[in-house]
Amino acid sequence: MITVQNLYHSYNKDDNYAVKDVSFEIPKGEVFGFLGPSGAGKSTTQGILTGLLQLQKGNVTVAGYDVKEIKRKMFNQIGMSFEQSNVYSKMTAKENLKFYAKLFDVPTRDPDELLEIVGLEGKGKIRAGEFSKGMKHRLTFARSMLNNPELWFLDEPTTGLDPAIASVIKGIVKEQNEKGVTVFLTTHNMYIADELCDRVAFIIDGDIHLIDSPKNLKLEYGESKVEVEYGDNGKLKTETFSTLDEKDKKKLADIIAKQNIQTMHTKEATLEEIFIKVTGRELI
Amino acid sequence: MFKKTLTIFKRDLHVSYRDFMSLFMIVIPIILAFAVNAFAPGIEDTTVNLVFIEGENTETIAYLEDFAKITKVKDYDSLEKRVLRRDNIVGFVGEGEDAYILTQGNEPEDVVMFAKLLKTYSEYDRKVEDSTAIIKDFGVKTSPTKILWANMGILLTSLLAGMLISLNIVEEKMDNTISAINVAPISRTAWIFGKSIMGILVALIGCSAMVLILGLAGTVNFLQLLIFVFVSSLISIMIGFLEGVNSDDVMTAVASTKMVMLPLAASVAGYEFLSAKWQWVMYWSPFYWVYKGNLSILNGDFTWLELLWHSAIVLGIAALVFAYVAPRIRKGLEN
Ligand SMILES: Nc1ncnc2c1ncn2[C@@H]1O[C@H](COP(=O)(O)OP(=O)(O)OP(=O)(O)O)[C@@H](O)[C@H]1O
Ligand SMILES: [Mg+2]
Repeated sequence: MITVQNLYHSYNKDDNYAVKDVSFEIPKGEVFGFLGPSGAGKSTTQGILTGLLQLQKGNVTVAGYDVKEIKRKMFNQIGMSFEQSNVYSKMTAKENLKFYAKLFDVPTRDPDELLEIVGLEGKGKIRAGEFSKGMKHRLTFARSMLNNPELWFLDEPTTGLDPAIASVIKGIVKEQNEKGVTVFLTTHNMYIADELCDRVAFIIDGDIHLIDSPKNLKLEYGESKVEVEYGDNGKLKTETFSTLDEKDKKKLADIIAKQNIQTMHTKEATLEEIFIKVTGRELI
Repeated sequence: MFKKTLTIFKRDLHVSYRDFMSLFMIVIPIILAFAVNAFAPGIEDTTVNLVFIEGENTETIAYLEDFAKITKVKDYDSLEKRVLRRDNIVGFVGEGEDAYILTQGNEPEDVVMFAKLLKTYSEYDRKVEDSTAIIKDFGVKTSPTKILWANMGILLTSLLAGMLISLNIVEEKMDNTISAINVAPISRTAWIFGKSIMGILVALIGCSAMVLILGLAGTVNFLQLLIFVFVSSLISIMIGFLEGVNSDDVMTAVASTKMVMLPLAASVAGYEFLSAKWQWVMYWSPFYWVYKGNLSILNGDFTWLELLWHSAIVLGIAALVFAYVAPRIRKGLEN
């Protein structure tokens, strides 16, 4: 669905690249996570893929179109949910969707149905300007589904949403993906990435460090741990031990033998920990 | 492409009706026209106003109705009250020997004089046909002040049309919706056309309404008016786009329009006050040519050839402005 070969981009057209030598491929039906700290080049890459930024160097095809010369038709197959909600404040939620729907040449979904899906049922007649931040975000998200996109760009789809709504959004993404929609997900949030993505790419300073599935990454880099809560002379203590380190293993056995164990969990490494381990950088 | 252009236009129209500022700009030309009508007298209005008591002087009234505007009141007291009002109205009281003219005292001398003459003519039963005077004229049918105001009104209207566009673009910028349009299957050109329709329509309708309300419909060739307003609004539209792209809020957009008022006012002043020898000083300004052309249209003596070369000059300047402005607008619409 997307192929990127040796992509470079410099905002000032000099040697100071915001994205350098980036290559990856996203097959149809995959959820691909693009992860990296602020300023890593995520938006820049996404901007080039969606034609918002002019392609400077490299080969990029999106949904079968060469991005060198963007054809407007391409956007009939693409949906894009923006990080910062961008809907017309002076129009109602439904008017926003109806207006946008008219810009497509393909059949579009019913605005009321979409509002319902994102939990905005009954709010269609309210002007978007009167919406809360989260509601605007959901409207922006709903709009990106209007044209039944085959390829769906999601920029921080759950950031700033309350957990209940965030999980609704996650559900929608999963559901769409099951219907065959390819998803390009940009995020800082490793938990979302972990749950949704088939594969993730770690990008830092315009460079892709690795691309793999969360599961493989955990197997390869994740050190599983055990967290033990035990009573030591009436006081409750918590300690974490590696299941690989010999010293830790001995200590753990010792505690199990001698102490009064309250709880014991195995802890998988999080994607975030792996990211830090692989790149040596925090995900801020 | 045409359908989507229309979609963009319809959205703008819809939203403008909800916005006080935009709505205000749409109706300004009409308010302005009514205001000019109220304050700038037309030629036909420079007549004397006479007031009579009902029942008196019926013959004189019948005679004078051709020359003066006549009001009738029911008795002497009302006549006195009427004369004492602020405007210039002259009272005719009594018949025959007892007749006299009643004034407030502050009327212009020629108004009273004219009233006196009319009274004399009516007493001698003189008709217009009795006059031996031959009158020649240049065929100008409207008062020059009215035309001056109408012309400035037309300039202002096309400027407002541009401003309306800039408000609509500022709206998109404030809501950050241009990025959403950029990833929709609509071409930049279709979008820009859609955004321009509003300005062009407001200019065309506003200027036509102004001409109609001012009672100039008889002299003005509407096809010429519409063509020329269309041509001149292209400049306002470009200014509107540029202002919209460069302003982050409504106030900035309004403030930058004030800057455009400057060359506009200079062009009008230049045309009106510079001697023929110095007119070339203003040739650079498109507003100068627009003002000059409008003046001929309003006077009803613009030939098609003149329309052609005036339009050519305005379009030429517009093209230069476009060459300068287009890359800036394009840049402003990215992201
Ligand atoms: N319009 C621009 N002009 C110049 N430099 C820019 C521009 N936009 C981004 N950059 C630079 O390009 C680099 C990559 O930025 P980008 O926006 O792609 O990061 P990001 O990964 O999307 O970050 P975030 O998570 O904060 O959105 C940064 O160094 C940034 O300063
Ligand atoms: Mg970003």
